[in-house]
Amino acid sequence: MNPPPLVRDLIRATSRQAVLWRKEDLLLYEYDALSALRQPEAVVFPTSTQEVVRVIRVAARHGLPVIPRGAGTGLSGGATVAQRGIVVGFSRMNKIVEIDLENQRARVQPGVVNLDLSAAVSDAGYYFAPDPSSQKACTVGGNVAENSGGPHTLAYGVTTNHVLGLEVVLPDGNVVHTGAKFWDRPGYDLTGLLVGSEGTLGIVTEITVRLSRLPEAVNTLVAIYDRVSDATQTVAAITARGITPAALEMMDGFTLRAVEAATHAGYPTDSAAVLLIEVEGLREAVEEQTETIEAVCREHSAREIRRAHSAEERALLWKGRKNAFGALGRIAPNYYVQDGVIPRTRLPEMLEYTAEVEKKYELRIGNIFHAGDGNLHPLIMFDARDPSQCERVGRAAKDLMVKCVEMGGSITGEHGVGVEKNELMPLLFSDDDLAMLRRIKEVFNPLGLLNPGKVLPTGKICGELRVQASVGA
Amino acid sequence: MASSVQSAHMELAAWVGSDHLSDDPAVCRAAAVDGKAPALVVYPSTAEEVAGILRIAATAGLTVIPFRNRTQLDIGNPPERYDVGLSLKEMNNVWHYEPSDLTISVEPGMKLGDLQYLAAQDHLWLPLDPPGGVKASLGGTLATNATGPLGHGYGSPRDVVLGMKIATTEGKIIKTGGRVVKNVAGYDLAKLLIGSYGTLGVIVEANLKLYPLPRQRATYVLRAKSLGMARELRRCILATPLHFLRFLLVNPAGARWLRQGTPLAVESTKPEIWMEAGGSERVLERTQKSLEDLCREAGVSVETCGGAEAESVWNRASEFRHAVVEAQPGTVVVRASLPIAACEEFLSAAQQEAESAEFAALGSPGVGTVHAAISGYRDLGDAGSTIRRLRQSARSFGGALVVERCPVALKAPLDVWGDPGDDFDLMRKIKAAWDPQRTLAPGRMIGRI
Repeated sequence: MNPPPLVRDLIRATSRQAVLWRKEDLLLYEYDALSALRQPEAVVFPTSTQEVVRVIRVAARHGLPVIPRGAGTGLSGGATVAQRGIVVGFSRMNKIVEIDLENQRARVQPGVVNLDLSAAVSDAGYYFAPDPSSQKACTVGGNVAENSGGPHTLAYGVTTNHVLGLEVVLPDGNVVHTGAKFWDRPGYDLTGLLVGSEGTLGIVTEITVRLSRLPEAVNTLVAIYDRVSDATQTVAAITARGITPAALEMMDGFTLRAVEAATHAGYPTDSAAVLLIEVEGLREAVEEQTETIEAVCREHSAREIRRAHSAEERALLWKGRKNAFGALGRIAPNYYVQDGVIPRTRLPEMLEYTAEVEKKYELRIGNIFHAGDGNLHPLIMFDARDPSQCERVGRAAKDLMVKCVEMGGSITGEHGVGVEKNELMPLLFSDDDLAMLRRIKEVFNPLGLLNPGKVLPTGKICGELRVQASVGA
Repeated sequence: MASSVQSAHMELAAWVGSDHLSDDPAVCRAAAVDGKAPALVVYPSTAEEVAGILRIAATAGLTVIPFRNRTQLDIGNPPERYDVGLSLKEMNNVWHYEPSDLTISVEPGMKLGDLQYLAAQDHLWLPLDPPGGVKASLGGTLATNATGPLGHGYGSPRDVVLGMKIATTEGKIIKTGGRVVKNVAGYDLAKLLIGSYGTLGVIVEANLKLYPLPRQRATYVLRAKSLGMARELRRCILATPLHFLRFLLVNPAGARWLRQGTPLAVESTKPEIWMEAGGSERVLERTQKSLEDLCREAGVSVETCGGAEAESVWNRASEFRHAVVEAQPGTVVVRASLPIAACEEFLSAAQQEAESAEFAALGSPGVGTVHAAISGYRDLGDAGSTIRRLRQSARSFGGALVVERCPVALKAPLDVWGDPGDDFDLMRKIKAAWDPQRTLAPGRMIGRI
């Protein structure tokens, strides 16, 4: 079979080895970690900014959109094809271009894996702070697109707080540079605007990030509760004592049992909830904060408080937490991860509401959150072969999102809007708000060639969540 | 233009009430920007009123500059036109304050000092110390992304804003972000507005992240023998796990200025490093001990101070940009933004470039910002060429230089922002998309946008 003209043009723009176009090769690119949509017309793996420019020119000539893709670990369908288009995969642009320790900066290509960047500077005592659960696989480019968070963003902020500059290819093939190696470059903060724009404003081809100092001491605690409400109340009480832990995570009993069965991390399977708490910093500060936190946990009827005594124990506890989604995948054919945010003091109320939703739709929901910053990840268990369940999952998820908004929160804290929630945007934003977002999009992407069908509502389906059918782990 | 001002005057008076608007020449002169006085000053008291004022002005083809306490208003090129002064002094409300969520929503006219007073009741604070200090308004601080020495420990305004409401030139009020600490729904328009100097919209409400007040604080002073030694000390200290709220490097003239009129006034002939740490007694003891161990080898002693003494010095740092001009009118203040490693070298090069002029500099090397005041230059031509040389020097280190204060006559030939980069075309298009009539502060921002 001879390659079609589009593919021949893409090969000319890159190389023969850089283009996938046979149906069986494209299968994988229907998916990200949310679900499958459509097959792209082709997938291309550029190796340089210049190749990205040539690819985008080919796409424009063929009137096809471009969908940038890192590792495909996204949870809102951002790297999938909503209509038609060419997927630009960044797995071959995976070089750390520069590490500049005295300036606490690194310049990386978008395909660099999040954890590889930290590993490259850890011997010198530095790391890249954003730590999404998928950090072993996800790329810095993807983190920039989604403004990714992670457990430790409680103390250190999300991706946008650690990105200083970008090289960006615009849909007309122009290459521009936003921000700088230093902070507060004069002019509008286009870097801040581009981070989290989900590939709809430009294609990022190089990223300047801030590197952070590794802490001198770390303490990881697990507080075990017999009542969920005691755990949620502890969260606010820790903050009220003036402590901002590096991470403050919560898992309910249902989630714990699944995690323990999969990871054997040592979580108690007979409890109602646990808090996974980490404090970092100067040795003296860590010791004092640990004591205070332990006291707060006891005041709130924690049954037991355990400390990780070694790096291995700590790693195991985090492995349990970071692989929790997958662990739940073992107990139901499918699960749907939600991502909502509420003010952290409303956690007890939100959990009660989640229990009501569970009952109302007869679905099991696992609760796992970044409790410290009020970022919830309810996991709705279901069987995608049952259409009635699928329909109930969608309604349950939407109810949860509506509640988040009512509490003054948001419909996504770190997974992004993508194709999953773009039709829910009117829950948060008025027509006037959305109109100003559209004007920004028109400045960068006037013809809609970059990642169409994402972020902004298309108006085709009103107020609906795109229910997905994750394949589980 | 005069007739459109007149008809808009009536419309604005009908919109905000005639007692919320003034064309008194003295009032207008007091609202002048770079010597240019508006024909009217309006005092809206609600977000809706701000939006309406912008709509009326844009429809009539008038131009508007928003302000509150004028602490950052000197920054920028002279306005191309300036018809209506938009004073936000009546917008001081706190809309939501949730101490246990560590969030607060305020109107732009609220002064930083008032917010700090309120938050301190709950042992919280907003860790910003922009030029102008407690007198700076929240709106002005955000619109100019103004930072001070606390930027070292807490970052800039862009790191503490969770969301905002913005009045547009079409008379709409739009929102971005929210009141929660994590939110990735939609483009982050707050980032765009922060540091846009009032050229895209008017911030009418801001949701901010608060932090626990440090239990105790201590200030440490190191007198380096040279800038080279200051660089070594900075390198060593920043490589330790010690955490500082503020980290300031000052040249000898900067040190004299900082200490002047405080109980710590002494004759300084060396560059100094001023650091503030916060935490428990044990943390502060450890910090001091580690600093002493580190400095012993360099033969530098660690002086400590705290309480009101230290406070007075840090307040002086916030007032630097304003006080140097008050003390000596005509003083030029520049802000160099640099890679961290280049701060000391820039200071040393700048000192030479300033030649015979008096040159006082306060830098935050941990974040790469240097504020320098230049006075005693021969004439404006001399000042202009000094600034150009300093800008060239900042560029050669991979940085940029903005002239924050200077005589107005210097602004036209200089361009206070310096040359824009290859992303300027996008900035120009964003300005055109959001403010097509160029109603807001035309000509003031980068590229005279």
